[in-house]
Amino acid sequence: MFRYLASRAAGMLVVLAIVAVLVFVLTRAASGDPVSVLLGDQATAADIARVQKEYGLDKPLPVQFGYWLREVLQGNLGTSIFLQRPVTQALWERAEPTTLLALMAVAIAALIGVPCGIVSAVFRGRVVDQLFTGIAMLGASIPSFWLGIVLIQVFAVSFGWFPVSGYGAPDAPLAERLHALVLPATVLGLLNSALIIRFTRASMLDVLGEDYVRTARSKGLSESTVVLKHALRNALVPIVTVIGLTVALMIGGAVITETVFGLPGVGNLVVSAVLRRDYPVIQGALLVIAAIYVLINFSIDLLYAVVDPRVKV
Amino acid sequence: MSHAGLVQCLPKLSKRSLLGASLLAMLCAALPSQPAHAQGPRNFATLAMVAEPQTLDPMASTADLVGTIMQHVYETLYTFDAKWNVVPMLAESSPRISADGKTYAITLRKGVMLHNGRELNADDVVASLQRWMDQSPRGKAVGKEIESLKAKGPLGVEIVLKAPYAPLLSQLALPSGMAAIMAKDSIASPLKEFVGTGPYKFKERRPDQFVLLTRFDKYTARKEPASGYGGKREAAIEELRFVPVPNASTRVEGALAGQYDFADLLPVEALPRLETSGGKTVPIMTPSFGFPYLVLNTKEGVASSQAVRQAVQSALGEGEMLAAGFGDTRFFVAEGNHFPKGSPFYSTAGTTLYNERNAAKAKEAATKAGYKGEPIRVLTSRQYDFHYNMSLLMAEQLKRAGFKVDLNVVDWATLVQRRNDPKLWDIYVTHSGQFPEPMLSPPQLGDGAPGWWDTPAKKAALQAFNVESDPAKRGALWGKVQQVVYEEVPYINVGKFNGLSAKSPALDNYQPATWPFFWNARIK
Repeated sequence: MFRYLASRAAGMLVVLAIVAVLVFVLTRAASGDPVSVLLGDQATAADIARVQKEYGLDKPLPVQFGYWLREVLQGNLGTSIFLQRPVTQALWERAEPTTLLALMAVAIAALIGVPCGIVSAVFRGRVVDQLFTGIAMLGASIPSFWLGIVLIQVFAVSFGWFPVSGYGAPDAPLAERLHALVLPATVLGLLNSALIIRFTRASMLDVLGEDYVRTARSKGLSESTVVLKHALRNALVPIVTVIGLTVALMIGGAVITETVFGLPGVGNLVVSAVLRRDYPVIQGALLVIAAIYVLINFSIDLLYAVVDPRVKV
Repeated sequence: MSHAGLVQCLPKLSKRSLLGASLLAMLCAALPSQPAHAQGPRNFATLAMVAEPQTLDPMASTADLVGTIMQHVYETLYTFDAKWNVVPMLAESSPRISADGKTYAITLRKGVMLHNGRELNADDVVASLQRWMDQSPRGKAVGKEIESLKAKGPLGVEIVLKAPYAPLLSQLALPSGMAAIMAKDSIASPLKEFVGTGPYKFKERRPDQFVLLTRFDKYTARKEPASGYGGKREAAIEELRFVPVPNASTRVEGALAGQYDFADLLPVEALPRLETSGGKTVPIMTPSFGFPYLVLNTKEGVASSQAVRQAVQSALGEGEMLAAGFGDTRFFVAEGNHFPKGSPFYSTAGTTLYNERNAAKAKEAATKAGYKGEPIRVLTSRQYDFHYNMSLLMAEQLKRAGFKVDLNVVDWATLVQRRNDPKLWDIYVTHSGQFPEPMLSPPQLGDGAPGWWDTPAKKAALQAFNVESDPAKRGALWGKVQQVVYEEVPYINVGKFNGLSAKSPALDNYQPATWPFFWNARIK
């Protein structure tokens, strides 16, 4: 157990080191200059040069990378050029909406995806199966900004059930904030349920063909017991994997949905940082997102052991 | 129960309870909302802005958004009335200007309270203007004109110029890159607290969520009736909530749903929907909101030849470009005068060269100028749709006149970097707000801005314009500058566009403005 954990942890560090290098190189390889954006139209070349020096942006790239790495190793992700606050603080402030959104969206995706996947598998080839498969394909192909705007028009503008955008009033209690998350979570949930439907269906089909399922049926067990108890439990491993990966994806990838719904989350932070080349924020945020991704992957591996006793850790 | 049995039960229990809990949470969340203002008469306004302000220090940025928000907190010595005249705000009256036009004696209003409860004095003003001249890009340019800045007694401020510089008061009045007057003891870099004299004081900022301003009870208003940014200001709404809503479609939907009391800068395509909203929202058009302009590289490359620049100007049909950029004719005016009718700087000098769209003339002029088919590199971005749409049409017009065009579409951060390098471009596309004073924009009228326009004719025309402090004479002198711009083509003013925003029917007494302000507005 310990050896397994240690080797996985070492692997994680290697991945993060590669991510750090890639993130740094890629952000600097893109043209554009944060200082010109920061200072605006009226700034002179001398002003720009002075502020670049202030942020160490005049130094050669390897030196800049060295400084950044040294800080990162000490747990310091640097200070945002635009927000004038530490990147860790900026990320922390935006963690709540993003996390809640991801959890809510995954709950919705799983509640749609798992039952639909099971039904599709049980009624394989029948109209229901084709209907769900079609819906899944549709869900995977709809762009999230479009679905977002449509849901806003219907449920926020026409019916007035939900706010159009934002994360509740300044003094809003948690319930109001959650209420503001329903539409964006629905968008993400619907789109991501497609993958879960497909995986559940495939995994269930594998299992439903197994001998022990036939045995269970021949014992005279009810169909629901066979499907939900005997088949589903054994089909759970890939399903849990895909649900876990969906969470990871959403923590870093709800970018478009967060922008459309004006949510003050991590995705929004990254987008604005990219547009104005706020290097410390881009680098810090991507590194943290990568770390979360890696950690979730790691947790999924551990979860296998819980849902499937055959997996030995 | 055995240990093993317990363990077996665990996943079952947790799965079920998890499912139940999430269902419950979703049910709760799906309940219809209880808007905060249902609980009684509300006294706040939700104002949807285009982005998160990059800073709240009004001197650190020339971004309009920063000025729009912070003009409620900080005030300036002078400001603009509804007809774009400079009128006093914190100053008691217009300055006494010495006969040689170099010394400005300014007296402050007595009894103006700062947000920290102290009375404003001349030391605060001197320290603030000093900071403005040290740090703000616009202030630095003004600082070069200033010989000395001193306090004269508790309420007197004296500014001595090196040479007469007529735009001084307009520079002190502009809300963007603001010469904000702050409490001396609050001055720091970066600013830690925001202590001004405005009708609102700073309450809280949560990045990407909101900036809250709250009524300043001891605000000392002017006695004159309100006009434009000038005159009496009153914080009738207790709390202003500026929320960033960067997605333009979302701002439109929010306005239609009645979620915002004000939605700033909406796409022009949204007008029909706003007009037919059944009274849920009211569209607001701000005339002569801004002007798109093309900057030509006078330093290097193919456009460094004045004759080639003139040929480019002849090839362009600005009317078509505006139509491509803004669609609806209610949103733009194709006219060559750089300032609208009614402005003291309205002039038709040189405007016969505007909107020529004459491919034959351009072709001939280009050949005569020795143009040999070098590509004209146009730097543009999709940050604003109208930049891109205008660029596409411009490229076609240029091609029709025999020019080869290389359209470089980049994002905004790349554009603002590349334009600083004369080797990389020949024309770039941008826009500016329509300001009341020519020297405030575009920056190409100053020194060193991209394009690097620097000729004897420019210097002579601007010198004459800038030393004249009599507003009546300055109008005619601006005509001469405009003439030079049309002849030397350092930049091409494409025309004027109107701004579209929307307000809720509940927001009463809102006056459309380039930098929207909400003092004197009320919630019905």
